[in-house]
Amino acid sequence: MTALAAAPLVVALLLRMFADHLARRLRPSLAVPLLTGLALSVALCTGLVLSILAVLVCVQVGPLPRLGHWSASTLHAGVGFPAPLGILALMVVAGCLVAAGVRSARSVHSLLSAGRMARQLQPVTGDLVLVHDETPTAYSVAGLPGRIVVSTSMLSALLPAERRVLLAHEAAHLRHRHHLYLHLALLAASANPLLRPCADAVARAIERWADEDAADEVGDRPLAARALARAALARAAHPAVRHALSAADDRVAERVQLLLASPPIQRRLPIALIMMAALVSWCAAGSITLWAHDLLQLAEQAYPGS
Amino acid sequence: MARTQPRARGTLEREILACLAAAGQPLTPAQVQAEIGGELAYTTVMTTLSRLYAKGALERATTGRAYAYTLLGGADLARSNMTAHQMLKLLDEEADRASVLTRFVAELKPEDEKLLTDLLERAGYSEPGDRGPTG
Repeated sequence: MTALAAAPLVVALLLRMFADHLARRLRPSLAVPLLTGLALSVALCTGLVLSILAVLVCVQVGPLPRLGHWSASTLHAGVGFPAPLGILALMVVAGCLVAAGVRSARSVHSLLSAGRMARQLQPVTGDLVLVHDETPTAYSVAGLPGRIVVSTSMLSALLPAERRVLLAHEAAHLRHRHHLYLHLALLAASANPLLRPCADAVARAIERWADEDAADEVGDRPLAARALARAALARAAHPAVRHALSAADDRVAERVQLLLASPPIQRRLPIALIMMAALVSWCAAGSITLWAHDLLQLAEQAYPGS
Repeated sequence: MARTQPRARGTLEREILACLAAAGQPLTPAQVQAEIGGELAYTTVMTTLSRLYAKGALERATTGRAYAYTLLGGADLARSNMTAHQMLKLLDEEADRASVLTRFVAELKPEDEKLLTDLLERAGYSEPGDRGPTG
C-alpha cells in the first residue's frame, strides 16, 4: 500500500524533472492543456492520498477510537506506520490547502483588478489599446474585456509585417484564454510545490503557442522570428528597461531560435506518457480511497463492543 | 467580403490602426496598402478604413483625390491611456509570473542581445526608419 500511496508523489517528482522536456516535444497547443491537466491531477491526487493517510493515523489517537467505535489496533496494523508521520501528513495537507486557497484568492484578485484597469483603457476600436509610452512595450491583459496594449514607440520600432506578428501573438493569448491555463497551473503548483517547474513549463509553452499561432497567421516563420528579435532589441535599447535585466527569464532568444527551426513535429510518445502519468495518479488515489474504506470497516467490525 | 480574405476582419482592423499609429501622420488608402503589404486588395483596405471611420475610430481629410486618414485623437487617446497602463505595469510586477499580463517580449540577457542583433543583420532587413511612403 505504501508503494501505491507514493505513486502520485513519484509522478510529481518525475514531472519536476521532465515537464520541460515533455513540453518541448509536443506542439504547444497540445502541451499546454495536457500539462495543465496533469499538474492539476497530480496536485489533487497527492492531496487526496496524504489526507487519507493523515485521517487514518489520526483516528487511532486518544479518545477517537472509542468515540468512533473502531479498533485502534486493527487500524494501526493496517496502516503500518507511526502516528507522528500521520500528523506530519496532516500538517502538509493543511499547508497545501492554505497555499491553494491563497493562490486562488490572488488569482481572483489580480483578474478582477486587471479587468477593472482594462475597462479604463480606451481602445481605438475592438480590443486594441494604444499608449503613449517611450518604452517600447506590448502585452495582452486577460480579463473581461481582454485588451491588447501596445505603445506607439513599439509600433514605430517594427516593420509593418512585423507589427502583424506582434498583433497576432497578443490576439492568440486572448483568443485561446491562455491566462486560465496559467492560473490553473499556478494553482496546482501552490498546492504541490513539486509542480512548480511544470507550471513554468506551461508558462513557456504558452508563449510558444502564441508564437506558433502568429507564425501561422503570417505564414512566414523567419518573419515571426525577426519580429520577436526586433521587439526585444527595441526594448533592450531603452534605458528604463536596462535596469530590469534581473527579470530576463523570458527566453526570447530561445523562442526566436525555435521559430527559425522547422515547426514542431507531433510525437505520440509524450502524449502517451502524460496520459499514463495522469492515469497512474488517479488509479493510485482511487485504490487508496477504497483501501481506506475497507480498513475502516474492518476496524469497526473489530471494535470490542460490536 | 471579409470572409474571402486570409485575415479576419478584426485582425485587419488592428493592423491598419497599428499602421496609422506608427506613421503618426495622415495616410491615404494607397499608402496604407503599400505599408501593410502587396497581397491585400486596395478595395479591402479602403473598405476597412471607411468602416473604421464610420465606427468613429478615425478622422479623415481630403488630400487631392483621396481621403487621408488619421487616428481620432490618436495622441490624446494614447496619453489618456497612460495611467491605466502604469497601474497595469505595477500589477504585472506584483503578481507572480505575470498571470494576467502576458508580454510580447520581456528583458534580454546581454549575450542574447548580441545573438539577436546578428540574426537581424544576417537577414539583411532595413531598419524601420528607412522605409517607403511614410518615412
